[in-house]
Amino acid sequence: MIMHEVLIVGGGLAGLMAALTVSASADVAVLSKVYPTRSHSGAAQGGFNAALGEDDSIEAHIFDTVKGSDYLGDQDAIEVLCADGPEVILELERMGVTWTRRADGGIAQRSLGGAGFPRGCFAADFSGHVVLHTLYEQSLKRGVKVYPEWHLLELLVEDGGVAGALVYDLARARFEVIRARQIILATGGYGRAFSKTTNGHANTGDGMAIAYRTGAVLSDMEFVQFHPTTLYGTNILVSEAARGEGGYLRNTEGERFMARYAPEKMELAPRDVVARAIFKEIKEGRGFDGHYVHLDLTHLGQALVAERLPQVRDLAIRYAGVDPVSVPMPIEPAQHYSMGGVRTDVWGMTTLPGLLAAGEVANVSVHGANRLGGNSLLETVVFGRRVGKKAAELIQQEPSPNLSRETVRRALEPWNALLLSRLPDSPQADSTFAVRREMTTLMTNQVGVFRTGSELEDAVARLGQLKARYQKLSPPGQAKPFNYALMDYLEVGYLLDLSEIIARGALARTESRGAHYRLDYPLRDDRNWLHHTFARRGGEGPELSEGSVAITRYQPQERGY
Amino acid sequence: METVIKVCRFDPGKDTVPTFQEFAMDLEGTQTVLDALLLAWQQDPSLSFRRSCRSAICGSCAVRINGRPALACQTLMQQASAHGGPIIVEPLPHFRQLKDLVVDLEPFFDSLKAVVPWLVLRDDYDGRMTPEVARRLEGPATCILCGICDAEFDETGHVKPAALVKALRLAQDPRDAAGIHRLRLLQTPPEILKLFLKELPEKCPKGITIDASKCL
Repeated sequence: MIMHEVLIVGGGLAGLMAALTVSASADVAVLSKVYPTRSHSGAAQGGFNAALGEDDSIEAHIFDTVKGSDYLGDQDAIEVLCADGPEVILELERMGVTWTRRADGGIAQRSLGGAGFPRGCFAADFSGHVVLHTLYEQSLKRGVKVYPEWHLLELLVEDGGVAGALVYDLARARFEVIRARQIILATGGYGRAFSKTTNGHANTGDGMAIAYRTGAVLSDMEFVQFHPTTLYGTNILVSEAARGEGGYLRNTEGERFMARYAPEKMELAPRDVVARAIFKEIKEGRGFDGHYVHLDLTHLGQALVAERLPQVRDLAIRYAGVDPVSVPMPIEPAQHYSMGGVRTDVWGMTTLPGLLAAGEVANVSVHGANRLGGNSLLETVVFGRRVGKKAAELIQQEPSPNLSRETVRRALEPWNALLLSRLPDSPQADSTFAVRREMTTLMTNQVGVFRTGSELEDAVARLGQLKARYQKLSPPGQAKPFNYALMDYLEVGYLLDLSEIIARGALARTESRGAHYRLDYPLRDDRNWLHHTFARRGGEGPELSEGSVAITRYQPQERGY
Repeated sequence: METVIKVCRFDPGKDTVPTFQEFAMDLEGTQTVLDALLLAWQQDPSLSFRRSCRSAICGSCAVRINGRPALACQTLMQQASAHGGPIIVEPLPHFRQLKDLVVDLEPFFDSLKAVVPWLVLRDDYDGRMTPEVARRLEGPATCILCGICDAEFDETGHVKPAALVKALRLAQDPRDAAGIHRLRLLQTPPEILKLFLKELPEKCPKGITIDASKCL
């Protein structure tokens, strides 16, 4: 058995930031299904919001975020996010982040969606990447222990609290039990539940689903962000920075159609507004080949594109075959981010003692019904740091949890059986691949940008059928190194659980708010729905209940851009 | 397009030497070798290879394609099949094969430690950096630690290629207390360093360029 004072699951921005913070005062280890630098945080392009500018203010950042969230964000958490922003940006700068600079040597900032000021600190369009690698360098400096390519399988509970984790070492094909006094989840989102997503293959909601199975509360799962601009076909991300630097969205008539949807903010309206506008254009016949619109950078000039958007340019040339300097990019919206997640307080504490969470896996909730560009990267470092502080504090205050041999034995039993299970002799009619394909297509088609009660009802029913099929699959449980088929099998199980919660939450919420848009209930309904959706695991699937929203200074108003 | 890919298979539990397995499939020329591997995996789920972002930023899918180290997700099928024969996919050379296309990355990540791979902040740093200096750091800062340079370059002395890229970035960072003195610690012979900097842009999948005049 391995022991650590604090175990962090996930080695992306939130996980590494937490690890660095804990390492100042306690023993910490990071467990990650990929090497930390492979984490999907590195794919983030646009920037980290922080009110550094002289004309900008923390107050303005708070208001933009509250309004962006369609008033579902918890304002006490948003205050923390925005107030800590400037300090964390400067802390990252001292760690070695290569921020892009202004002529006077200060940190440059760019405009991102839904913001009143240019507030996104960036490094060209590699913002997530450079910060991820800088945090990794710092983790080497601090000697943070990493278990790379180890997968979390189960959280071990004793006397109602989390006391350890059952994990799987992919390279050696063996189980390990890690005892820890506090466990921090920083496992990111579940983008791979959707066929059209910007997310990488590793983004399968493992931590979220495992926390839910262990009894933690998930919150606001029906709020799924669809990024307006992804390359048509591959859904590779084209940063909001492309619009922040001046890019236009155009339909087949060459028209900047955002003028009809958000006359003031135009292309820099929040993502929910822009994604809906694009689909509306396509639906009304103004999409190219009936499927996509154009993101036009051709008026920006080669110098600006090369300097500020080099990655976007490379990606477009390689994966879409167009050089955005001279040809508009074909783009369509795709799943990008999960606003919902494991419910936490402003210190990252979940509803389970011994379990904390930060980053995309968590719902603290700073994004409410819709996240603003640049706020998720900020969230990872602000709340990663806070959750690390909290965990370090808790191990001083709380007694070490007990973890009985019996609990470990009982947890290991089914997993050992799984690993020893024999593959069927004859080819099977059904497969994990088939179940995954049907689930992801269903989620994109029926639980996407535009939703209706009847389609959601059908989705819930069909997810139930897919779950039943999943139960009957024979797990590819051979004890071989790098058994990705086994991981895939487990990941599809996590995604099915989460998909069901997302679809049920979307069906229940009979209003439209932020990224959740119901064609049959097109208006926001504060009287009945100004509350979070909590989901707990029940005997017959998820049980939904209401959670109150923290409103400190801004009462809900009409949200126009 | 109808394509055949030949993938190197090795199961340490039963094989003494690697073998090749052929997979036939139909793909668009604009799809990638990673797409081909994912299809091959559906045909035989016991195939092991790393992948995640599929947009050339995570560095997971570095393999050897038709003899050259490359990112599978960054190599288009039309490019990989241009020579006419089957596409041959093997693990990265200079790395120990663990299973199929998966190689041992521990020595690679360990190799970074040879160069004090973090910023040692100067006490008198005032928080300012000119845009020109910042831009110079940007190239090496796009390193994704995929391992391709380590697979490409045979000999760079005791400091391995990816570690060299990191060291050269930090050496040019005005915030770093050691700064240009880091170069002396490298003990990389100048002629080797020169050749490395010359060939890096072409061999690195991110096309990283490092201004040699600042490093020699």
